[in-house]
Amino acid sequence: MSSERRSAMHKMFFREAIARAVREEMRDNPNVLILGQDVGRFGGSYREFDGLFEEFGPERVRDMPVAEPAMVGMGVGAAAAGLRPLVSITYMDFMMLGLDPLINYGAKLRYKTGGQLTAPVVVKTTAGAKGQGVAHSQCIEAWLMSVPGLKVVAPATPADAYGLLKTALRSDGPVVYVDHKRLFPVAGEVPVDEIAIPFGSARLCRSGTDLTITAHSFMVRTALEAAKLLEKAGLSAEVIDLRSLAPLDINTIVASVKRTGRLLTLEEGQITTGVGAEVVTRVMEHLGPIDFTRVGPLPAPVSSNRVLEAACLPDAARVATAARLLQSSGKLVCSN
Amino acid sequence: MLYKISVPQVADVEEIRILEWHRQAGEPVAQGDLVVELETHKAIVEVRAGQNGYLRKILAEAGNWQGIGLPLAVLSDGQSEPVPEDVQALVDLPVDFEIT
Repeated sequence: MSSERRSAMHKMFFREAIARAVREEMRDNPNVLILGQDVGRFGGSYREFDGLFEEFGPERVRDMPVAEPAMVGMGVGAAAAGLRPLVSITYMDFMMLGLDPLINYGAKLRYKTGGQLTAPVVVKTTAGAKGQGVAHSQCIEAWLMSVPGLKVVAPATPADAYGLLKTALRSDGPVVYVDHKRLFPVAGEVPVDEIAIPFGSARLCRSGTDLTITAHSFMVRTALEAAKLLEKAGLSAEVIDLRSLAPLDINTIVASVKRTGRLLTLEEGQITTGVGAEVVTRVMEHLGPIDFTRVGPLPAPVSSNRVLEAACLPDAARVATAARLLQSSGKLVCSN
Repeated sequence: MLYKISVPQVADVEEIRILEWHRQAGEPVAQGDLVVELETHKAIVEVRAGQNGYLRKILAEAGNWQGIGLPLAVLSDGQSEPVPEDVQALVDLPVDFEIT
């Protein structure tokens, strides 16, 4: 649209986009604070909180013991009491320990108190496989999408890491903010202006006519690589970055599948009751039966062995193969 | 002879940001001298000259970004050998680099 003003951009690392969002929100709102392991002088496990301890001090950037239930519990409690904590859980696998305070207390607080209390806590965590084995590689965001009252977002670019984290820190409900180990080496353009990205808004990353690929987090890059492979094979793939899993921007996905007629969902987490299962079901609620396929890892834990890790995870070649199969068979294919 | 120095191969990294040049164009460099510091998502990469020569031309100033394997600067054995427009064809000077 001609009325849209394009903001000037500034290139930065993924971690710097996170630090910038937190810094700005901490400056704007004295109730925002960070709780986590190695978040203080160390600056965060991925240096994503660099400089914040120096600027805001130990009162607002608090190192925590290795006790995730206590960290999330304190975060939810502090939120109920009026603060806006960001709780940093280094590995998403360890969020399992914090699910009771997050789900039974945080996500339910507004309902239980008839709207008198809210729990504006952000649990920021890092998912994904990168050579660290069975209990440091998991993507369990699909588990969380079904919790009423919980919001779940998963950026794929520095710009979205920035914009979604700003919205998360201003949100009144508990938010789980999922980033990915393999995204930290990435740099990208971020608007110079302070622009928050609303939840529930997917991003069309690539236009295409033959099929729609949905993905989130690191798998968006895999989807874009697969789209390039498919282009060489004469197939035009549209790629949608979900960005926000709960709420899910189903309208953008439906509009795309209406155009392309086929849907491939891609995720690094398990496809059984996964993000893709939800996306496919909701699209069918709008459009009726469609040709679709779900692509994800093998139904096995991810090994720390490089060869076995790669064997388990979806990659561009596998996505492209599944897309070609979907195109040629026109049937419902489940390829994990 | 003219050489180029390029961004060294660092595991997992696609591109780096130039943090600081420790030699300016025209200055001599001795083997082992710290020429430039680069910044990755989690570390500083110190790039040191692999042999004696002159730093002739800086291709990416501090604050700019450069992809892995792409050129950072032109060096030469002599002080006044003309620097060509197209540096891609130049031989890559081996660099010692240390990640801290």
